[in-house]
Amino acid sequence: MPLTLTVNGDAHQVLAEPHRTLLEVLRTDLGLTGTKENCLEAECGVCTVLLDGAAVNACILLAAQCQGRSIVTIEGLAAPGDMHPLQRAFIDHGAVQCGYCIPGMILSAKAYLDDNPEPSEDQVRQALAGNLCRCTGYQKITEAVMSAARTCRGAPRVPRGALSVGGLGAITGASARLSGPPA
Amino acid sequence: MTFNYHEPTSIRDAIDLGARFRRESRFLAGGTDLIIQIHRGRCAPRQVVSLHRVPGLDAIDVNGTITLGSLVTHRRLERAPEFQGALRALVESAEVIGGHQIRNVATVGGNIVNASPAADVVPVLITLDATVTCLGPEGERTMPLDGFASAPGVTALHPDELLTRATFPRLAPHSATAFLKAGRRRAMEISVVCVAARLTLDASFERCVDVRIALGAVAPTTIRARAAERSLEGRLLTDETMREAGRIAATECQPISDVRASARYRSLLVTALVPRALARCAERIRGGAS
Repeated sequence: MPLTLTVNGDAHQVLAEPHRTLLEVLRTDLGLTGTKENCLEAECGVCTVLLDGAAVNACILLAAQCQGRSIVTIEGLAAPGDMHPLQRAFIDHGAVQCGYCIPGMILSAKAYLDDNPEPSEDQVRQALAGNLCRCTGYQKITEAVMSAARTCRGAPRVPRGALSVGGLGAITGASARLSGPPA
Repeated sequence: MTFNYHEPTSIRDAIDLGARFRRESRFLAGGTDLIIQIHRGRCAPRQVVSLHRVPGLDAIDVNGTITLGSLVTHRRLERAPEFQGALRALVESAEVIGGHQIRNVATVGGNIVNASPAADVVPVLITLDATVTCLGPEGERTMPLDGFASAPGVTALHPDELLTRATFPRLAPHSATAFLKAGRRRAMEISVVCVAARLTLDASFERCVDVRIALGAVAPTTIRARAAERSLEGRLLTDETMREAGRIAATECQPISDVRASARYRSLLVTALVPRALARCAERIRGGAS
């Protein structure tokens, strides 16, 4: 079926069968390979793009569902030759090793910071919960996002290593750490 | 494995398509389950009817009774100002589903009709005595959500019907809700056990007037712990009566051992989480969140 997709501000005409995902069309038909492909089941987040400003997994979204909506991929986050503060911060903080998860990380962070310009470190970790990284660990990524948030707010950058590690725990839901259980 | 794709722009057109194609077709909402099932080859619809251009299915209505349209996303639920108080369990169950990317598209209706025993929003809706409404060529049917699912992935929804909304009454005074989920990690996790509770206390804030307890991932469908509920009704809410309710609830479930946890561990979690959920309700009522 013929589709018109608006990607990074440009309208593209593509011919795609209805079962094809946005991820396939972005990578194969439009050559936008910055959006990565991995689990194909919305578990890992490497295929994250922005759909009408919200982070979504392109691997389980039909391209046909995206007509008339605005899609932003990592290629469209900043003008060619320029960098978004998030991209700059990931480099400055050494938050990138193999790099495969980074486009998705940055777009998830972008969507979150657009809604929450002053997040806590814990909120940043929650915001990136749908993006897996198998090499850096998440500390430097979190630091980079916190730093970019400050930059976007117009505040000076804070040197890396200035943040603490959040606690781990498995009982969520009420999401808070539970105090004084009766049992 | 391709299919024909339809984008109806009215609920009537959506129902007509469902009636025309019946078992050949599937309605598509957020797609976080359906598209994965299609990719895995577990279902192969010849026709996919996307609902995202059907107006009116994504509304939250709080006039009198409370209605959640089937296309309300988990993100909407998380952020709904109406649910930040006594109905906070709705937020608590929505905000632990997947990551942001999932919650931005996954819907309440999808969570209900997918009928996973580990569904997170469903136990909360069951504690709220929610009903669900299905619309088909023969008209509307409304039935209790408790019992709507009969087995994993199986519900009372007919193949040509569309789930349009879940509805529940306003909470009585001195009521609150809570939701707890146990997983192996804090995010992107299918529940090992989840527990929802709704509690109503008397004017002294000491005695249980009415209570609902629903358990997820410990039976083929979400279940109510009715004996545990009965053990509390009319009684003083104390650490001991809450613990007893937890012990009784553990006898009412039939958990399995699987890759995520053993049956024994799941039972222990029920024993521990039911009193915690009740205590959290009580804290909220006494703290004025109701």
